[in-house]
Amino acid sequence: MKSLLKLTNVNSYYGKIRALNNLSLEINEGEIVALLGSNGAGKSTTLKTISGLVKPKSGEIEWNGQSLVGVPPHKIVESGIIHVPEGRRIFGGLTITENLELGAFTFRKNKKWVREGIERSFDLFPRLKERAKQPAGTLSGGEQQMLAISRGLMGDPKLLMLDEPSMGLAPIIVQEIMRIIKEINKQGTTILLIEQNAKAALRLANRGYLIEIGNIIMHDTADVLRMDDKIIKAYLGA
Amino acid sequence: MDVFLQIFFDGLVMGAFYSLIALGYTMVYGIIKLLNFAHGDFYMLGAFIGYALLSFITGDGGLNAGLLGIGAVFIITMIIVGLAGIGVERIAYRPLLTAPRLSILITAIGVSLSLEYASMIGWGASYKVYPIKLSKNGLEIIGAQISFAQIGLIVLSALLMLGLRLFIEKTIYGKAMRAIALDQSACSLMGINVYRIISLTFFIGAFLAAGAGIMSGVYYGTINFMMGFIIGLKAFTAAVLGGIGNITGAMIGGLVLGLVESYGTYYLGGSWKDVLAFGILILFLVFKPTGILGAKEMERM
Repeated sequence: MKSLLKLTNVNSYYGKIRALNNLSLEINEGEIVALLGSNGAGKSTTLKTISGLVKPKSGEIEWNGQSLVGVPPHKIVESGIIHVPEGRRIFGGLTITENLELGAFTFRKNKKWVREGIERSFDLFPRLKERAKQPAGTLSGGEQQMLAISRGLMGDPKLLMLDEPSMGLAPIIVQEIMRIIKEINKQGTTILLIEQNAKAALRLANRGYLIEIGNIIMHDTADVLRMDDKIIKAYLGA
Repeated sequence: MDVFLQIFFDGLVMGAFYSLIALGYTMVYGIIKLLNFAHGDFYMLGAFIGYALLSFITGDGGLNAGLLGIGAVFIITMIIVGLAGIGVERIAYRPLLTAPRLSILITAIGVSLSLEYASMIGWGASYKVYPIKLSKNGLEIIGAQISFAQIGLIVLSALLMLGLRLFIEKTIYGKAMRAIALDQSACSLMGINVYRIISLTFFIGAFLAAGAGIMSGVYYGTINFMMGFIIGLKAFTAAVLGGIGNITGAMIGGLVLGLVESYGTYYLGGSWKDVLAFGILILFLVFKPTGILGAKEMERM
């Protein structure tokens, strides 16, 4: 399998507080990788460091053989890494269609792509179509998550990073979101997934990393992690 | 009735200038939460650069520049001042975007003084007489004299505002501006170069203010390096009146302010003009700080 993204000994700080401590991880093409860990372990910071919102103090981030350290976020998006942030962060005052159009900002010159992308999103989530002209802020939590994922797909990601897509959603919606993530992956997009819901995440993922205090303390295939005592105790419940 | 209508048109012209300047105020505030107190000086800069270019094309002897020449001067001036707006943002404001708001506010006052006194050094402190004058010809509507020039200025301002509206509503850059006002870091995750959109916002703001600057030069006939100061404050008042951060609000606020001033001047006397304008500002800040288009309907820039 071809390595797509490789983090080596990455250190990131918020001011003086070290959030990532010599973190290393690797993602291969076509995989779904789950990043597990408790609150404040550094999961979101890992994604923010990859997407350029947080600049690492040291360490190397290699994407398709090129360094991403110091590259501004909008360039990283152009290179094919798309980060769907925690809390959805949709543009509430803009309509659903406008949100999707902005997701395809890097393809703004390609009107055909934008139009087809919007149609694809509506096929994926028919509920969005009914509300195409409504302000996105009027959507329910689950619909907002669907919009956030669709908006991410509009940028044609090679790697899609999802930060807690199931947060605060009803179990039935979570199932649907998980199904869609699987579907997106089948169509060739590599996925890095952060989940509180470790059970669901490990069912979906090929491999998983366990992060604690900014450091990877365990990584293995999802099947092994699902059976691991430590993980079961800490994250999967008895 | 004739006087009433006459004053209405005078107020409308004044209000159109206020609106054009208030738009820049409100857009910049919407996008980076900065009250750009230097904004009025782009109006002054527009008036002066327009003055310089018009003097150049009309020559010393007062050659008649055709309508085409005047139009070209308009556009060139607005573009130059727009670029100046980008320059000011790049040099003075961008390094401070993450600094506390007060630092950038004080910087704005510094920029304002720099622009004013630079133009004083360049063009002198005395009043300059504009090289072209508008004809007084016009038409009479129920006894009120409305000049073609007034109608022209109002139409031109309306077109500029309409153009802006369409830009903000329909183009992807306009949508990006509205999105940045809502969530800057989410925008960079869409692949939007946030700094470039901020630059664009400054360009548009300065561009419109410069348009108002030349128009007022042509309309009132004289310009001065301090002309942007008080009108900047008035435009700020207009922006607050309409609901700061709101594009439609800035247009409405400017027109309301222009009309109030113009009727106030007639019925109470000219010395009450500024009192009225800032009195309204105080009333709004106390009783309806969200402006005419209250917070609920606010479609923030």
